[in-house]
Amino acid sequence: MATLTQSLGSRPRLLAAEITGWFQENVLGAPYKTLFNLGLAWAALAVFQSQLETAPALAGVIGGLWVVGLLGVVFSALTHRFNAVTQWLKDRLYNSPTSALVTLLILLLLSGLARAGLAWAVTEANFSADPEAVSASAHTGATWGILLANLKLFMVGQFDNDQLWRVWACVGLLVGLSVVSLPVYGPFKEQLRPIRRVVTGLWLLSPVVFWVLLRGVGESGFLSQIETRTWGGLLLTLIISVFAIVVSFPLGVLLALGRRSTILGIPAWLTYSVVGGVGAWGLVTYTRPNLALARTPLEYVLILWPLWLLVAGIAFQRVFKGNVVAAFCTVYIEGVRGVPLITVLFMANFLLPLFLPPGTIIENAVRAMWGFMFFSAAYLAENVRGGLQSIPKGQYEAAQALGLNTFQQLWFIILPQALRVVIPPIVGQFIGLFKDTTLVAVVGLFDLLGIANAAVAQPDWLGLRQEVYVFVSLVYYIGCFAMAVTSQRLERRLRVGQQ
Amino acid sequence: MKPKPPLSVNVIPAPVIPFWRDVRVLGVLAQIVFVFAVVASLSWIGNNVAQGLQTLGGAQFLCDDGTSSFRCAFNFMSSAASFDIGEKPIDYETTDSYWRALTVGLLNTIKVSIVGVVLATVLGLFAGVAVLSNNWLLSRIAAGYIDVIRNTPLLVQLFFLYFAVILQLPQLRDSLQPAPGFYLSQRGIALPWPVFTPSFLPWLAFIILGFIQFQVLWLLLSQRERQTGKATNRWLWATLAGLIVMVAGWYLTLSFNTNQAALVSRVSRVAQAPSPLAGLEALVAKRLALPQLTKEALEKLDAEQLAAGALQVCVVKESPSEPNFAAQLQRLNLPFKMNRFDRPDQAGAAYAEETCDILVGDRSLVVAERAALENPDGHLLVSIQEYPVVLSAPKLEGLNLVGGARMTPEFAAILFGLVIYTGAFIAEIVRSGIQAVPRGQSEAARALGLTEGQRLRLVVLPQALRVIIPPLTSQYLNLTKNSSLAIAVAYPDLVAVTNTILNQSGRAVQVVVLVMVSYLMVSLAISALLNWYNNRMALVER
Repeated sequence: MATLTQSLGSRPRLLAAEITGWFQENVLGAPYKTLFNLGLAWAALAVFQSQLETAPALAGVIGGLWVVGLLGVVFSALTHRFNAVTQWLKDRLYNSPTSALVTLLILLLLSGLARAGLAWAVTEANFSADPEAVSASAHTGATWGILLANLKLFMVGQFDNDQLWRVWACVGLLVGLSVVSLPVYGPFKEQLRPIRRVVTGLWLLSPVVFWVLLRGVGESGFLSQIETRTWGGLLLTLIISVFAIVVSFPLGVLLALGRRSTILGIPAWLTYSVVGGVGAWGLVTYTRPNLALARTPLEYVLILWPLWLLVAGIAFQRVFKGNVVAAFCTVYIEGVRGVPLITVLFMANFLLPLFLPPGTIIENAVRAMWGFMFFSAAYLAENVRGGLQSIPKGQYEAAQALGLNTFQQLWFIILPQALRVVIPPIVGQFIGLFKDTTLVAVVGLFDLLGIANAAVAQPDWLGLRQEVYVFVSLVYYIGCFAMAVTSQRLERRLRVGQQ
Repeated sequence: MKPKPPLSVNVIPAPVIPFWRDVRVLGVLAQIVFVFAVVASLSWIGNNVAQGLQTLGGAQFLCDDGTSSFRCAFNFMSSAASFDIGEKPIDYETTDSYWRALTVGLLNTIKVSIVGVVLATVLGLFAGVAVLSNNWLLSRIAAGYIDVIRNTPLLVQLFFLYFAVILQLPQLRDSLQPAPGFYLSQRGIALPWPVFTPSFLPWLAFIILGFIQFQVLWLLLSQRERQTGKATNRWLWATLAGLIVMVAGWYLTLSFNTNQAALVSRVSRVAQAPSPLAGLEALVAKRLALPQLTKEALEKLDAEQLAAGALQVCVVKESPSEPNFAAQLQRLNLPFKMNRFDRPDQAGAAYAEETCDILVGDRSLVVAERAALENPDGHLLVSIQEYPVVLSAPKLEGLNLVGGARMTPEFAAILFGLVIYTGAFIAEIVRSGIQAVPRGQSEAARALGLTEGQRLRLVVLPQALRVIIPPLTSQYLNLTKNSSLAIAVAYPDLVAVTNTILNQSGRAVQVVVLVMVSYLMVSLAISALLNWYNNRMALVER
């Protein structure tokens, strides 16, 4: 109180003028905003009242803290003396009446949510993995036993218990390689240069090793083949994601290069003569006899396929100038990008067995993996194409002037620059692919989400959907977050965005 | 004659490139090899498909006359569907063809996509601007929402919404009511919805006139602003002018329309009253033995007395007369009970048996029913006002909700899941677009004395929109493609319906082709729109 009168000193009239000025500008001068603020205040009061009924102590504390903050900021504003805390409060929480009211509202709602969430997840939750103990207890919160009892299912699905050593071997290999990579690619880059090649080679070989370990080779022996339908849970999610990412990368780069290719196309006379010949043959052998039999408009459309072939040939020649490679890549990319992933998965499920010689058996997991691979390659191709377009033409010309052949140009000059530029969108796409592996639950595979749905259907743990979905979301969140952080580190190391 | 060039000029002969290193020859060779590879693999696949279909039964291309031909590839789509679809925006029976089922699926997809796009844009705009707000709490919460939603798979969010939220809602009789007129229950969400009566069209003409009036006044006042340089508060005057026309139109259509009519018996003396509604009020007041129908007097009566004295109204089911008349009766605090009938003659018969006091409906309907009565002169035709738009709010009657619009649990799940998911991506796009505007622009705007609102509206947003719109349209495309996940929550969209068709008919190739063609058409349409917009708005470089 003494400070206030001291700092006000002999200028109470100035202070009054300041307050009336603020009032005139912010309340009387902005009627719509004041009305809005009144509405906010009414809403905040309503929420405060309801919170008082359910948790009076917490609501009181929150309200008290807010009032203390408000008073502090008002006092500092009047005395024109801010310390670090009040400055931050004024800038970021109590900037204007609207901001102050929004702060109160958010604090109340957040505290209510946090209290309810904590009660559900921790205070009133049951952590026992024994179904009988769980049904005997009368808790109102989460039943985490469903996760604790089915942990193996969630992690590796219905993997054979005697073959679990394979999964542990993979995990051990991964951990070992990561531990070795940290110094080799990091602080001790120079000292450990000789083994850097070895470590890189091991990383490049690791997918093959993982495949051999998890799928097996041969009929007998300790590395015999195991059925892919025993893969499940997080293991299946990781296998599908890694396969799709690793195999689609070269294919995507090839597609991008193919779409941008400028090699000499098939001459027009050749295209038109071939298409014209086939069309004429089709017209004579198919269209003429069947024209009389057609009834519906769609039948007419199908009967006239030689005409559509001619139209396609003309379009191909006009748009792509006879470049079959560019045409094929463009049609593939635009076609796959225009359809949802789930239709690609359904196609892979139903059509892949049809496309291969009758009698070949492809397991469901393999079909899904190929479906993801084809889907991811198209999106990757578009990202890489953006990178290729961003390289100045001078780089291409300089590479050619140096006398490098096409492969050397690409490997040493073009691709390093292109891929460096598009790391953010590519990693974003890989994150999207990792999340999209949940779709295999719809085609009947038991990835993490599929296992979660199956676990909820067990008679012991019926209907505990909230717990499993929270767990699955957490796993995916951690995975995506880790990938995003890695991408940022990679960008910084490769100095993306800087010349 | 041209002088011959001297022979001593040093002419370097062009190097002869051997054909195996000539880029042009290699290029054409590559093309030919590629074509052969593509044709060979396609024919191998085609061969496998033909063999596989033969073993499957060979009925893939069956025509009506028993022969098998390529032209009859889609003839199976005309046969009866024999499965029911849960939600139908158009009429559909199980005996309709597969084509009709496909159309229903396509319409469902379009419905969820359009509503989803609108709501997601609103949510994304709000969240994107909130991330950039001054208030630390608000910006962190918006950032947290964006972060969590973008890093969690859409399917998990959909399952969570459907199974762990919507299906856990209480039964109908214990529905949650967050606001008056909104019912959240296991059967879905019921919300108030406007009902357009036939007299909406004349009012629409007045609305259009009001907009024209607004525009005319706006242009006039803008011209005056330019000439005199003084502000003329044109928003206020133009809006007032437009509103006056619209409100006048409302009352004019109300007074001059004769669409609705009611049938009352002459005995009830309703027609003699100053207005039909006053007459009904007097009738019910007499029945309830009250001098006047005030709220307090009605509250004193118990439920049985109210039910006994309530006005019995006969209406045809799902006609606009019901919400129209109900709104007028509610305004007078008249207790009433609606008796709904499927057909007009049933309503007329009920009125003739004196089950109800008054028959309400379209004028032509009431006139016809009056003519069908035994004693037409004993009943009076009374005009009822028809409001152009009536807000129909759902009400709990017994075991059902009547009135209002419904969202099934499946539709609500897929809609909110898509909106929340796509909203987070749109928020990121909006945020990066606004941050892409150079800070100098905002500083210049403040230096010029523009208010915060003017700065946002006139300086920041136009420049930000240029950066926002291309990725925004690609997010709209993503939303449309993500709506295919509706199969996981049992909403009958295009993918779900075609999946059923595939399982029932066994024609895998044709059905897959149909699905891909449908989605490709939608994608290409949206991409074409995007390209046209981009070309129009592209910055013309120097």
